[in-house]
Amino acid sequence: MEIPFVVNARKDTGLFNSKVGIWLFLASEVTLFGGLFSGYLFLRLYADYPWPERALPVLPGLINTFVLIGSSVTVVFAWAALKMREWRKFQVYMAITLLCALIFMVLKGIEYNAKFSHQAVRISGGSPVEDYGILEGHVHYVKLDGDKLQDVPSENKKDEGVFPANRLIFKATDLTFALKRPAHEAYVDMILEQAPKGTSIILVEDYVVGGKMIATEGTVLSIDLLSDLEEAFLDARSHDSKIRTQFEKASWAWIRGEQGVTDQATYIVETDLWKARRAEDVKAFSPLMLSAPAEVAFKVDPPFNLVLDPDDTPPGLRSNAQVRLRDDTVVKGTMLDSPIIMAVDAIDFRHTAQRAEKEEIDPMEAIKTSWILTHEAAPHGDGHAEEGHDKGDHRNELKKAWDCHMAWLKYETERLDKKSDRKGLVGDARFVPTTNDKYRVNWDQMLAYKALKYDAEAVYNAAKADDGSLYRTHLFDLSGFAGANHSKHHFPHVEIPRDKVGFESTFTPKWSTYYAIYFTITGLHGLHVIGGALVLGYYLFFGRKMYESNPEWLANRVEIGGLFWHFVDLVWIFLFPILYLM
Amino acid sequence: MADSIEEIKKKKKLYMFIGSLLFIFTGITVAVASVEWLDFGKHGFDKADAIIGLSIAAFKASLVMLIFMHLNHEKGLIYFFYGLGLVMAFFCMFLIGWTKSDPIRYGNWEHADGFYNPEKPATKPEH
Repeated sequence: MEIPFVVNARKDTGLFNSKVGIWLFLASEVTLFGGLFSGYLFLRLYADYPWPERALPVLPGLINTFVLIGSSVTVVFAWAALKMREWRKFQVYMAITLLCALIFMVLKGIEYNAKFSHQAVRISGGSPVEDYGILEGHVHYVKLDGDKLQDVPSENKKDEGVFPANRLIFKATDLTFALKRPAHEAYVDMILEQAPKGTSIILVEDYVVGGKMIATEGTVLSIDLLSDLEEAFLDARSHDSKIRTQFEKASWAWIRGEQGVTDQATYIVETDLWKARRAEDVKAFSPLMLSAPAEVAFKVDPPFNLVLDPDDTPPGLRSNAQVRLRDDTVVKGTMLDSPIIMAVDAIDFRHTAQRAEKEEIDPMEAIKTSWILTHEAAPHGDGHAEEGHDKGDHRNELKKAWDCHMAWLKYETERLDKKSDRKGLVGDARFVPTTNDKYRVNWDQMLAYKALKYDAEAVYNAAKADDGSLYRTHLFDLSGFAGANHSKHHFPHVEIPRDKVGFESTFTPKWSTYYAIYFTITGLHGLHVIGGALVLGYYLFFGRKMYESNPEWLANRVEIGGLFWHFVDLVWIFLFPILYLM
Repeated sequence: MADSIEEIKKKKKLYMFIGSLLFIFTGITVAVASVEWLDFGKHGFDKADAIIGLSIAAFKASLVMLIFMHLNHEKGLIYFFYGLGLVMAFFCMFLIGWTKSDPIRYGNWEHADGFYNPEKPATKPEH
């Protein structure tokens, strides 16, 4: 039976079936993205931290906008070509549309990759306002030389034993596994892989359950051993639970039946009669319990240095003597020096300033006393001998960069003052530097200050000569296409002691609600682009047969696919200015 | 909806024109955000920039909807579906914004404590 109205419209509504369907679907999509945009709006309005304004590189977003607009034009041209029965033209326009989709996703991938490799660290200080200075950049790569970290050039980052310089180095002497948490495989693999040859990790004492030997003292750690121990523990726990339940059920039957107590249970359990009965139960069933130990301990001999990802051991669960991993495994030993070593491409004191204002402290005074500006940086080591790298005095570059920024800010303030005077502005209407201007040093500014050899006076004069626009990245500067380019430029580096690290993350949803909502919205939008491209691709590669049998039907389907594609473009038309320009 | 071949040929010219307009207005959006003498409000990002940016985006979106998505000559039922989506989106926004009236998280601490325990003096929780 032929389904009616797939090609020709219904007379009452004037619509064919799929058009009704796609518009209903688009209504649901409007709701979906509307909700997400609302989420962005309220997260931004009520954020308790400085919202990252203009944090994204504009050029990739701009190219993506042009690409999607172009693809919207070509998809409607493809539909027009089908209506005019020009198959070849349809193929060309549809292919261009799909190519645009591919370009969009590639650029999105480049942007995402840049964020996943970009690190941010919030510094933890002594006073409340010191807690919020932020350094952004790329972590170095290091390897262990005994108990010390040795810098490694970034081109060798995939060599064996090399890891990012944000790891925790822990000399492990004992391991304790919690058998209640059976997901140990990943961590056991990691530990066994890192243990040097000749290291023995052995069971400290026999594991016996109900008189049955499950594993003997001295058994070597393996995933199979842990599985056997977990199975024995869980079986014992189940056995014990059944016995306790049997006794408790019997006690309830006794107190309600034999004793005839009919009160509410919450009252009964408070009575002396019940408590006495339960004490007898415990005496009776205790000998029947298997009581398998919930933890097993292993000895590490000789102790070795374990390299741990900070994500594997939350800050609240680590100390100098032990760390607890996410599966409740406890590693005992000694925390070695585990600084974060990174090349800094941005310094951000906006949150420090916000906290200082809340405490009624002058933000600039609070910033001057922050660890970022007062720490005595170590002399530059020979570790990373990268080509063209100047081995001059690199100490305290962050302080020098900040002083240069203050010189630039001085000029910028004067410039805006003059501009306000020219426009006759008074009071609050006067132009003043933004919080970004005052408290944040971007990567292009870091490079510019370094190029002027951190001479504050030279920075002031250069700013004056260029009318204050010297240090802003030009829109079409490809060297910073997806942000700071660490392979092309050398940024000042810093060694942040572990106790100074308040919070660290790459630029992923973990870092802030801004990145959480950014990845949610753009990720979902990207999935829509892929879905739309798949549908349009199906029409391009498999539509010939339908074109020959019923071209109008294919034209209708392409129109529907095009409607979805235009919606995807619509969402991006709003996303681009909101995320990239505001 | 344009059905005849002559109408479609005319529409193609319109699509090209609208596409060019979209390109131009995208450039205008970036210029307004980047070029200082086009910054109509205070220095930096402020309400004026948000209004201008979103207005340009809304204008571009209207062009896409009316011309590319054929809403300028669609049937009434489609306008209903589209309106339905908008109403639901605004309702989502209202629901999220309504959480701002939560006295415990955002608002009047005295009121919040009084609601749960009139005897207890109001205390502001630590953030």
